[in-house]
Amino acid sequence: MSEDKILLNSGPIDDFVGEIEKLESSATSRVNATPDNADSGLAKLVLTLIELIRKLVEKQAMRRVEGGSLTDDEIEKLGETLMKLEAKMEELKEIFKLTDEDLNINLGPLGNLM
Amino acid sequence: MQENVIDQSKDITILEILDRVLNKGVVLTGDIVISVADIDLVYLGVKLLLSSVETMQKNKLNTVKPSLQIK
Amino acid sequence: MDKIIYAILISNDRQDELTRLLSGIRGISDSNLFNITYNDISVVASDFSSNKIIVDKEFAIDYARVIEDLAQHFTLLPVRFGTLMESPDAINEILIKYYDEFKQNLQKVENKYEFSLKVLWDYEKCSGKIRLKTESEDQNAAKLFHNNSVSTEYLLKKIKEHRFESALLEHVEQLIGEISTRLAQLNPIHKFQKMVTPNIILDAVFLLEKHKKDEFIQAIDHLKSQHDDLNFLLTGPWPPYNFVEITLK
Repeated sequence: MSEDKILLNSGPIDDFVGEIEKLESSATSRVNATPDNADSGLAKLVLTLIELIRKLVEKQAMRRVEGGSLTDDEIEKLGETLMKLEAKMEELKEIFKLTDEDLNINLGPLGNLM
Repeated sequence: MQENVIDQSKDITILEILDRVLNKGVVLTGDIVISVADIDLVYLGVKLLLSSVETMQKNKLNTVKPSLQIK
Repeated sequence: MDKIIYAILISNDRQDELTRLLSGIRGISDSNLFNITYNDISVVASDFSSNKIIVDKEFAIDYARVIEDLAQHFTLLPVRFGTLMESPDAINEILIKYYDEFKQNLQKVENKYEFSLKVLWDYEKCSGKIRLKTESEDQNAAKLFHNNSVSTEYLLKKIKEHRFESALLEHVEQLIGEISTRLAQLNPIHKFQKMVTPNIILDAVFLLEKHKKDEFIQAIDHLKSQHDDLNFLLTGPWPPYNFVEITLK
Protein backbone atom coordinates (compact mmCIF):
# COMPACT_ATOMS: atom_id res chain seq x y z
CA MET A 1 0.00 0.00 0.00
CA SER A 2 2.42 2.64 -1.17
CA GLU A 3 -0.37 5.01 -1.98
CA ASP A 4 -0.94 7.76 0.50
CA LYS A 5 -4.25 7.62 2.25
CA ILE A 6 -3.87 10.81 4.21
CA LEU A 7 -6.37 13.34 2.96
CA LEU A 8 -5.92 15.98 5.57
CA ASN A 9 -3.64 16.44 8.50
CA SER A 10 -3.27 19.47 10.68
CA GLY A 11 -0.84 18.37 13.34
CA PRO A 12 2.66 17.03 13.80
CA ILE A 13 2.40 13.65 12.21
CA ASP A 14 4.51 11.81 14.76
CA ASP A 15 1.95 12.71 17.42
CA PHE A 16 -0.55 10.66 15.49
CA VAL A 17 1.84 7.80 14.87
CA GLY A 18 2.58 7.47 18.57
CA GLU A 19 -1.05 7.66 19.58
CA ILE A 20 -2.33 5.27 16.97
CA GLU A 21 0.37 2.78 17.90
CA LYS A 22 -0.88 2.88 21.47
CA LEU A 23 -4.34 2.20 20.16
CA GLU A 24 -3.21 -0.76 18.11
CA SER A 25 -1.41 -2.50 20.89
CA SER A 26 -4.42 -2.45 23.15
CA ALA A 27 -6.99 -3.21 20.51
CA THR A 28 -5.90 -6.53 19.12
CA SER A 29 -8.64 -8.69 20.41
CA ARG A 30 -7.10 -12.07 20.62
CA VAL A 31 -5.68 -13.90 23.52
CA ASN A 32 -3.37 -16.77 23.03
CA ALA A 33 -1.28 -18.46 25.65
CA THR A 34 1.60 -20.75 24.79
CA PRO A 35 3.90 -22.63 27.15
CA ASP A 36 6.28 -19.67 27.07
CA ASN A 37 3.85 -16.96 28.02
CA ALA A 38 1.14 -18.88 29.84
CA ASP A 39 1.70 -17.01 33.10
CA SER A 40 1.50 -13.52 31.78
CA GLY A 41 -1.19 -14.44 29.27
CA LEU A 42 -3.62 -15.78 31.83
CA ALA A 43 -2.73 -13.15 34.41
CA LYS A 44 -3.44 -10.48 31.87
CA LEU A 45 -6.78 -11.95 30.97
CA VAL A 46 -7.85 -12.41 34.56
CA LEU A 47 -6.61 -9.02 35.72
CA THR A 48 -8.31 -7.29 32.82
CA LEU A 49 -11.62 -8.74 33.92
CA ILE A 50 -11.03 -7.97 37.58
CA GLU A 51 -10.02 -4.41 36.83
CA LEU A 52 -13.07 -3.94 34.65
CA ILE A 53 -15.33 -5.09 37.45
CA ARG A 54 -13.45 -3.02 40.04
CA LYS A 55 -13.93 0.08 37.92
CA LEU A 56 -17.62 -0.60 37.52
CA VAL A 57 -18.00 -1.04 41.26
CA GLU A 58 -16.11 2.17 41.86
CA LYS A 59 -18.34 4.07 39.45
CA GLN A 60 -21.47 2.75 41.07
CA ALA A 61 -20.11 3.63 44.51
CA MET A 62 -19.43 7.22 43.44
CA ARG A 63 -23.00 7.52 42.29
CA ARG A 64 -24.25 6.35 45.65
CA VAL A 65 -22.01 8.75 47.53
CA GLU A 66 -23.05 11.65 45.33
CA GLY A 67 -26.65 10.65 45.72
CA GLY A 68 -26.32 11.47 49.41
CA SER A 69 -28.24 8.43 50.64
CA LEU A 70 -25.38 6.87 52.58
CA THR A 71 -24.66 7.43 56.24
CA ASP A 72 -21.30 8.76 57.35
CA ASP A 73 -20.48 5.31 58.64
CA GLU A 74 -21.30 3.64 55.37
CA ILE A 75 -19.26 6.20 53.49
CA GLU A 76 -16.33 5.55 55.76
CA LYS A 77 -16.45 1.81 55.12
CA LEU A 78 -17.02 2.19 51.41
CA GLY A 79 -14.01 4.46 51.03
CA GLU A 80 -11.81 2.10 52.93
CA THR A 81 -12.90 -0.91 50.89
CA LEU A 82 -12.43 0.81 47.57
CA MET A 83 -9.04 2.04 48.63
CA LYS A 84 -7.97 -1.46 49.61
CA LEU A 85 -9.28 -2.90 46.36
CA GLU A 86 -7.29 -0.42 44.35
CA ALA A 87 -4.16 -1.09 46.38
CA LYS A 88 -4.62 -4.83 45.90
CA MET A 89 -4.97 -4.36 42.18
CA GLU A 90 -1.74 -2.35 42.07
CA GLU A 91 -0.01 -5.17 43.93
CA LEU A 92 -1.25 -7.76 41.47
CA LYS A 93 -0.18 -5.67 38.52
CA GLU A 94 3.24 -5.36 40.06
CA ILE A 95 3.55 -9.08 40.63
CA PHE A 96 2.72 -9.90 37.03
CA LYS A 97 4.57 -6.88 35.71
CA LEU A 98 1.52 -5.55 33.92
CA THR A 99 0.71 -1.93 33.24
CA ASP A 100 -2.67 -0.27 32.84
CA GLU A 101 -2.14 -0.24 29.12
CA ASP A 102 -1.60 -3.98 29.15
CA LEU A 103 -5.01 -4.32 30.70
CA ASN A 104 -6.61 -2.18 28.03
CA ILE A 105 -7.68 0.16 30.70
CA ASN A 106 -6.62 3.58 29.74
CA LEU A 107 -6.55 5.76 32.77
CA GLY A 108 -8.55 8.84 33.39
CA PRO A 109 -11.49 9.79 31.29
CA LEU A 110 -11.34 6.91 28.97
CA GLY A 111 -13.69 4.24 30.11
CA ASN A 112 -13.66 2.49 26.76
CA LEU A 113 -14.71 -0.69 28.43
CA MET A 114 -17.52 1.02 30.31
CA MET B 1 13.78 15.72 7.01
CA GLN B 2 11.60 15.45 3.96
CA GLU B 3 12.18 11.73 3.82
CA ASN B 4 11.28 11.44 7.47
CA VAL B 5 7.89 13.05 6.90
CA ILE B 6 7.13 10.67 4.06
CA ASP B 7 8.18 7.71 6.16
CA GLN B 8 5.88 8.71 8.93
CA SER B 9 2.90 9.36 6.76
CA LYS B 10 3.44 5.90 5.39
CA ASP B 11 3.51 4.66 8.96
CA ILE B 12 0.12 6.17 9.61
CA THR B 13 -1.29 4.60 6.49
CA ILE B 14 0.02 1.21 7.59
CA LEU B 15 -1.25 1.65 11.13
CA GLU B 16 -4.67 2.57 9.83
CA ILE B 17 -4.64 -0.43 7.55
CA LEU B 18 -3.65 -2.78 10.35
CA ASP B 19 -6.33 -1.42 12.62
CA ARG B 20 -8.87 -2.20 9.97
CA VAL B 21 -7.67 -5.58 8.85
CA LEU B 22 -7.13 -6.88 12.37
CA ASN B 23 -10.08 -5.50 14.21
CA LYS B 24 -12.77 -4.80 11.68
CA GLY B 25 -14.48 -6.54 8.84
CA VAL B 26 -16.81 -9.45 8.58
CA VAL B 27 -16.31 -11.74 11.53
CA LEU B 28 -17.06 -15.24 10.47
CA THR B 29 -16.92 -16.41 14.02
CA GLY B 30 -18.79 -14.70 16.78
CA ASP B 31 -16.17 -15.48 19.33
CA ILE B 32 -12.69 -14.82 20.48
CA VAL B 33 -10.77 -17.97 20.91
CA ILE B 34 -8.58 -18.29 23.94
CA SER B 35 -6.17 -21.09 23.46
CA VAL B 36 -3.63 -22.59 25.73
CA ALA B 37 -0.73 -24.36 24.10
CA ASP B 38 -2.60 -24.30 20.81
CA ILE B 39 -5.63 -26.00 22.28
CA ASP B 40 -8.72 -23.88 21.93
CA LEU B 41 -10.38 -23.68 25.29
CA VAL B 42 -12.62 -20.71 25.76
CA TYR B 43 -14.79 -18.71 23.43
CA LEU B 44 -15.76 -15.20 24.41
CA GLY B 45 -18.26 -12.93 22.74
CA VAL B 46 -16.62 -10.51 20.35
CA LYS B 47 -17.99 -7.57 22.27
CA LEU B 48 -15.73 -8.38 25.16
CA LEU B 49 -12.53 -6.77 24.05
CA LEU B 50 -9.43 -8.18 25.54
CA SER B 51 -5.98 -7.06 24.75
CA SER B 52 -3.70 -9.45 23.08
CA VAL B 53 -0.86 -11.21 24.68
CA GLU B 54 1.03 -10.97 21.46
CA THR B 55 1.05 -7.26 20.90
CA MET B 56 1.62 -5.53 17.64
CA GLN B 57 4.99 -4.36 18.91
CA LYS B 58 6.17 -7.89 18.54
CA ASN B 59 4.75 -7.81 15.05
CA LYS B 60 2.92 -11.00 15.60
CA LEU B 61 -0.67 -11.86 15.13
CA ASN B 62 -2.69 -14.82 16.07
CA THR B 63 -5.23 -16.24 13.79
CA VAL B 64 -8.46 -17.80 14.78
CA LYS B 65 -9.94 -20.76 13.07
CA PRO B 66 -13.57 -19.97 12.65
CA SER B 67 -14.27 -22.96 10.49
CA LEU B 68 -14.36 -25.05 13.61
CA GLN B 69 -17.09 -23.02 15.20
CA ILE B 70 -19.43 -22.60 12.31
CA LYS B 71 -22.11 -25.15 12.01
CA MET C 1 -4.83 -27.07 3.17
CA ASP C 2 -6.76 -24.26 4.85
CA LYS C 3 -8.25 -21.45 2.85
CA ILE C 4 -7.91 -17.88 4.00
CA ILE C 5 -10.78 -15.59 3.13
CA TYR C 6 -10.24 -12.00 1.99
CA ALA C 7 -13.57 -10.57 0.97
CA ILE C 8 -17.13 -11.16 -0.07
CA LEU C 9 -18.18 -9.24 -3.15
CA ILE C 10 -20.94 -8.62 -5.64
CA SER C 11 -19.86 -10.36 -8.81
CA ASN C 12 -23.17 -10.35 -10.71
CA ASP C 13 -22.49 -11.32 -14.30
CA ARG C 14 -18.91 -10.05 -14.14
CA GLN C 15 -17.41 -13.48 -13.44
CA ASP C 16 -14.87 -13.27 -16.24
CA GLU C 17 -13.73 -9.85 -15.15
CA LEU C 18 -13.27 -11.15 -11.58
CA THR C 19 -11.27 -14.15 -12.74
CA ARG C 20 -9.05 -11.91 -14.85
CA LEU C 21 -8.54 -9.51 -11.96
CA LEU C 22 -7.68 -12.31 -9.53
CA SER C 23 -5.09 -13.74 -11.88
CA GLY C 24 -3.27 -10.40 -11.71
CA ILE C 25 -3.18 -10.10 -7.90
CA ARG C 26 -1.07 -12.20 -5.53
CA GLY C 27 -2.40 -13.34 -2.18
CA ILE C 28 -0.55 -13.83 1.11
CA SER C 29 2.88 -15.45 0.61
CA ASP C 30 2.49 -15.12 -3.13
CA SER C 31 -0.46 -17.52 -3.18
CA ASN C 32 -3.00 -17.83 -5.98
CA LEU C 33 -6.36 -16.21 -5.41
CA PHE C 34 -9.56 -17.92 -6.41
CA ASN C 35 -13.25 -17.21 -6.08
CA ILE C 36 -16.22 -19.26 -5.02
CA THR C 37 -19.51 -17.99 -6.33
CA TYR C 38 -23.11 -18.41 -5.33
CA ASN C 39 -25.77 -16.56 -7.31
CA ASP C 40 -24.49 -13.01 -7.67
CA ILE C 41 -21.96 -12.96 -4.84
CA SER C 42 -18.46 -14.40 -4.55
CA VAL C 43 -15.93 -15.12 -1.86
CA VAL C 44 -12.28 -14.44 -2.66
CA ALA C 45 -9.84 -16.80 -0.97
CA SER C 46 -6.41 -18.40 -1.28
CA ASP C 47 -4.51 -21.35 0.17
CA PHE C 48 -2.95 -20.84 3.56
CA SER C 49 -0.63 -23.29 5.18
CA SER C 50 -2.36 -24.33 8.35
CA ASN C 51 0.59 -24.84 10.64
CA LYS C 52 1.37 -21.15 10.65
CA ILE C 53 -0.67 -20.07 13.62
CA ILE C 54 1.35 -16.99 14.36
CA VAL C 55 1.90 -14.87 11.33
CA ASP C 56 3.74 -11.75 10.53
CA LYS C 57 2.45 -8.19 10.23
CA GLU C 58 3.52 -8.36 6.60
CA PHE C 59 0.80 -10.94 6.01
CA ALA C 60 -1.79 -8.53 7.28
CA ILE C 61 -0.56 -5.87 4.90
CA ASP C 62 -0.59 -8.33 1.99
CA TYR C 63 -4.11 -9.16 2.97
CA ALA C 64 -5.17 -5.53 3.04
CA ARG C 65 -3.61 -4.95 -0.35
CA VAL C 66 -5.71 -7.70 -1.92
CA ILE C 67 -8.86 -6.17 -0.45
CA GLU C 68 -7.81 -2.72 -1.62
CA ASP C 69 -7.20 -3.94 -5.18
CA LEU C 70 -10.52 -5.76 -5.31
CA ALA C 71 -12.34 -2.74 -3.92
CA GLN C 72 -11.21 -0.69 -6.92
CA HIS C 73 -13.43 -2.84 -9.12
CA PHE C 74 -16.09 -4.48 -7.00
CA THR C 75 -18.42 -3.68 -4.14
CA LEU C 76 -17.12 -5.80 -1.29
CA LEU C 77 -17.19 -6.65 2.39
CA PRO C 78 -13.71 -7.05 3.84
CA VAL C 79 -13.36 -10.13 6.02
CA ARG C 80 -11.32 -9.84 9.19
CA PHE C 81 -7.75 -10.97 8.80
CA GLY C 82 -7.12 -14.49 9.96
CA THR C 83 -10.38 -16.05 8.91
CA LEU C 84 -9.64 -19.57 7.79
CA MET C 85 -11.92 -22.20 6.36
CA GLU C 86 -11.20 -25.86 5.97
CA SER C 87 -12.22 -26.26 2.36
CA PRO C 88 -13.93 -24.66 -0.63
CA ASP C 89 -17.00 -26.65 0.36
CA ALA C 90 -17.04 -25.01 3.78
CA ILE C 91 -16.86 -21.59 2.11
CA ASN C 92 -19.65 -22.50 -0.22
CA GLU C 93 -21.79 -23.59 2.70
CA ILE C 94 -21.27 -20.24 4.43
CA LEU C 95 -22.13 -18.38 1.23
CA ILE C 96 -25.41 -20.20 0.87
CA LYS C 97 -26.34 -20.06 4.52
CA TYR C 98 -25.63 -16.36 4.99
CA TYR C 99 -26.46 -15.17 1.51
CA ASP C 100 -29.15 -12.77 2.73
CA GLU C 101 -26.93 -11.15 5.35
CA PHE C 102 -24.08 -10.76 2.91
CA LYS C 103 -26.35 -9.32 0.26
CA GLN C 104 -27.93 -6.86 2.65
CA ASN C 105 -24.57 -5.61 3.88
CA LEU C 106 -23.22 -5.38 0.35
CA GLN C 107 -26.14 -3.24 -0.71
CA LYS C 108 -25.55 -0.98 2.25
CA VAL C 109 -21.98 -0.21 1.19
CA GLU C 110 -22.53 -0.09 -2.56
CA ASN C 111 -20.96 2.97 -4.21
CA LYS C 112 -19.67 4.18 -0.89
CA TYR C 113 -16.31 4.89 0.68
CA GLU C 114 -15.20 4.69 4.26
CA PHE C 115 -13.27 7.59 5.77
CA SER C 116 -11.55 7.83 9.09
CA LEU C 117 -11.23 10.94 11.19
CA LYS C 118 -9.07 11.08 14.26
CA VAL C 119 -9.06 14.20 16.41
CA LEU C 120 -6.17 14.83 18.76
CA TRP C 121 -5.68 17.38 21.46
CA ASP C 122 -2.90 18.20 23.81
CA TYR C 123 -4.21 16.41 26.88
CA GLU C 124 -2.13 18.34 29.39
CA LYS C 125 -3.14 21.72 28.07
CA CYS C 126 -6.82 21.10 27.35
CA SER C 127 -7.55 19.06 30.44
CA GLY C 128 -6.05 21.87 32.51
CA LYS C 129 -8.65 24.25 31.14
CA ILE C 130 -11.46 21.84 31.87
CA ARG C 131 -10.13 21.22 35.36
CA LEU C 132 -10.34 24.93 36.06
CA LYS C 133 -13.97 24.91 35.05
CA THR C 134 -14.89 22.02 37.33
CA GLU C 135 -13.19 23.50 40.36
CA SER C 136 -16.33 25.12 41.73
CA GLU C 137 -18.08 21.76 41.54
CA ASP C 138 -15.24 20.29 43.52
CA GLN C 139 -16.12 22.65 46.34
CA ASN C 140 -19.59 21.14 46.41
CA ALA C 141 -18.26 17.63 46.46
CA ALA C 142 -16.42 18.31 49.70
CA LYS C 143 -19.76 19.01 51.37
CA LEU C 144 -20.82 15.40 50.87
CA PHE C 145 -18.52 14.36 53.67
CA HIS C 146 -18.89 15.29 57.31
CA ASN C 147 -15.98 13.34 58.68
CA ASN C 148 -12.42 13.92 57.74
CA SER C 149 -10.53 10.70 57.39
CA VAL C 150 -8.23 8.87 54.99
CA SER C 151 -11.30 7.15 53.67
CA THR C 152 -13.32 10.28 52.91
CA GLU C 153 -10.26 11.95 51.47
CA TYR C 154 -9.89 9.04 49.09
CA LEU C 155 -13.55 9.18 48.08
CA LEU C 156 -13.37 12.91 47.53
CA LYS C 157 -10.39 12.45 45.25
CA LYS C 158 -12.28 9.77 43.34
CA ILE C 159 -15.38 11.90 42.98
CA LYS C 160 -13.34 14.75 41.61
CA GLU C 161 -11.77 12.37 39.12
CA HIS C 162 -15.14 11.08 38.01
CA ARG C 163 -16.56 14.57 37.61
CA PHE C 164 -13.55 15.63 35.65
CA GLU C 165 -14.03 12.63 33.36
CA SER C 166 -17.66 13.56 32.79
CA ALA C 167 -16.64 17.11 31.94
CA LEU C 168 -14.11 15.83 29.41
CA LEU C 169 -16.69 13.60 27.82
CA GLU C 170 -19.16 16.44 27.64
CA HIS C 171 -16.57 18.47 25.80
CA VAL C 172 -16.08 15.68 23.28
CA GLU C 173 -19.84 15.28 22.91
CA GLN C 174 -20.02 18.92 21.91
CA LEU C 175 -17.44 18.37 19.22
CA ILE C 176 -19.33 15.33 17.95
CA GLY C 177 -22.46 17.45 17.81
CA GLU C 178 -20.64 20.06 15.81
CA ILE C 179 -19.22 17.52 13.38
CA SER C 180 -22.61 15.87 12.92
CA THR C 181 -24.25 19.19 12.19
CA ARG C 182 -21.56 20.18 9.74
CA LEU C 183 -21.84 16.87 7.89
CA ALA C 184 -25.61 16.51 8.11
CA GLN C 185 -26.03 17.61 4.53
CA LEU C 186 -23.81 14.80 3.29
CA ASN C 187 -25.84 12.32 5.24
CA PRO C 188 -23.06 9.89 6.11
CA ILE C 189 -23.44 6.81 8.25
CA HIS C 190 -21.08 7.42 11.13
CA LYS C 191 -19.63 5.84 14.22
CA PHE C 192 -17.90 7.78 16.96
CA GLN C 193 -15.58 6.48 19.62
CA LYS C 194 -14.75 8.93 22.36
CA MET C 195 -11.49 9.28 24.27
CA VAL C 196 -9.78 6.24 22.88
CA THR C 197 -6.47 7.41 24.34
CA PRO C 198 -5.78 10.48 26.50
CA ASN C 199 -4.83 12.37 23.36
CA ILE C 200 -7.17 10.94 20.73
CA ILE C 201 -10.43 12.45 21.84
CA LEU C 202 -12.35 11.21 18.86
CA ASP C 203 -11.99 8.27 16.52
CA ALA C 204 -14.72 8.52 13.94
CA VAL C 205 -15.54 6.59 10.80
CA PHE C 206 -17.88 7.67 8.05
CA LEU C 207 -19.50 5.86 5.20
CA LEU C 208 -20.68 8.03 2.37
CA GLU C 209 -21.36 8.08 -1.34
CA LYS C 210 -18.26 8.17 -3.49
CA HIS C 211 -19.20 11.36 -5.28
CA LYS C 212 -19.38 13.27 -1.99
CA LYS C 213 -15.70 12.77 -1.26
CA ASP C 214 -14.49 16.29 -2.08
CA GLU C 215 -17.37 17.95 -0.31
CA PHE C 216 -16.64 15.83 2.74
CA ILE C 217 -12.96 16.78 2.79
CA GLN C 218 -13.92 20.43 2.53
CA ALA C 219 -16.34 20.14 5.43
CA ILE C 220 -13.69 18.57 7.65
CA ASP C 221 -11.19 21.18 6.51
CA HIS C 222 -13.60 23.88 7.56
CA LEU C 223 -14.06 22.29 10.98
CA LYS C 224 -10.33 22.11 11.35
CA SER C 225 -9.96 25.83 10.70
CA GLN C 226 -12.37 26.53 13.55
CA HIS C 227 -10.42 24.53 16.10
CA ASP C 228 -6.87 25.69 16.49
CA ASP C 229 -6.36 23.61 19.59
CA LEU C 230 -7.28 20.35 17.88
CA ASN C 231 -5.40 18.29 15.33
CA PHE C 232 -7.35 16.52 12.63
CA LEU C 233 -6.24 13.47 10.71
CA LEU C 234 -8.46 12.39 7.87
CA THR C 235 -7.65 9.22 5.94
CA GLY C 236 -9.31 7.30 3.19
CA PRO C 237 -10.97 6.26 1.06
CA TRP C 238 -11.03 2.81 2.62
CA PRO C 239 -13.00 -0.30 1.85
CA PRO C 240 -15.95 -0.40 4.28
CA TYR C 241 -14.20 -2.26 7.10
CA ASN C 242 -16.13 -0.53 9.83
CA PHE C 243 -19.56 -0.90 8.35
CA VAL C 244 -20.16 -4.58 8.14
CA GLU C 245 -22.13 -6.10 10.91
CA ILE C 246 -22.20 -9.77 10.39
CA THR C 247 -21.53 -12.15 13.19
CA LEU C 248 -22.23 -15.68 12.29
CA LYS C 249 -23.49 -18.09 14.84
